[in-house]
Amino acid sequence: MAHVNRKEYWIVFGALFLLTILEVGVVYMGVPKVPLFLALSSMAIVKASLVGLFFMHLKHETPILRRSVAIPMSIPAFYALVLIAEGAWRKLPW
Amino acid sequence: MSTSAATEKEGTLKPAVAVAAARHGHDDHGRDPHEAWPPDPHFGRASLGKIGMWFFLCSDALSFGGLLLAYGILRGSSTQWHNPGEPQLGINFTAGLTFLLICSSVTMVLAHAAAVEGKRKETLLFLGLTILGGALFLTGQFKEYFGIGGPGLIDEGLVFGHSAYASTFYLITSFHGCHVFTGVTYLTVIFIRTLLGKYDGGKHNHIEIAGLFWHFVDLVWIIVFTFVYLVPSSPSP
Repeated sequence: MAHVNRKEYWIVFGALFLLTILEVGVVYMGVPKVPLFLALSSMAIVKASLVGLFFMHLKHETPILRRSVAIPMSIPAFYALVLIAEGAWRKLPW
Repeated sequence: MSTSAATEKEGTLKPAVAVAAARHGHDDHGRDPHEAWPPDPHFGRASLGKIGMWFFLCSDALSFGGLLLAYGILRGSSTQWHNPGEPQLGINFTAGLTFLLICSSVTMVLAHAAAVEGKRKETLLFLGLTILGGALFLTGQFKEYFGIGGPGLIDEGLVFGHSAYASTFYLITSFHGCHVFTGVTYLTVIFIRTLLGKYDGGKHNHIEIAGLFWHFVDLVWIIVFTFVYLVPSSPSP
């Protein structure tokens, strides 16, 4: 039977654990709103990508399967960016 | 014209089918039939079940995307997100729940690794731990909503339908909770089938597919935890 290298899984686990602590820490540090939002979103995207690439084995799949997953999943994210920015812009006092 | 095209197509298809059938008949007897198929030029060795699960997960991601977008638009354009008297969400407790889901994702990959190596007992142990993690998460969510040994969010005044803040919160987290419940049920079926020896001898395809669903639930929670719990609301007086 094939042997599976588990080292990668533990490294990813460590990274996810540290990023979760960092996310909560950043919220308590009292960083201004915009950098805080950017830091939180980028950490969430890194965490989600780590889970997808290593735990869901996307790293070992063919490029076509990887893209078939990555492209549809990134569309709502772009849409969110545009719509939320629009909503926030309307709220500005002018 | 059309008949010649059809025969030509059949002509190119036949050898592949023959090769696969021959392989299935001899070398890979009793193994997962998908593994006997020659590698696909586009999807490699990914089984039909795995490709199907991935496309289901894409559509499921769009459902979550829709809910999160509605939340983002409502929140981004609101002047006051928290109405007076509504409680703040408990970040520390939910960070614990997040950690629990991450741990259960790790036990899931360890269960799959053990299944690949043909260790049934180890697979059962890690599948059991994964199910336990999911069940604990659901208990934690129940405590958060209704309160166990203390008031829950509903008692504290966060009521579905009373504000956009309350409604989007309950809609998104309970939709995710339904996924966790589905995952726990799914993994319990996989656990029983492993116990019966259905996945012995290299037939670990179903365990990997169940794992995909479980990791997706974890992945969605990472996004929900960040955008629903961590992004702070505007400082209210």
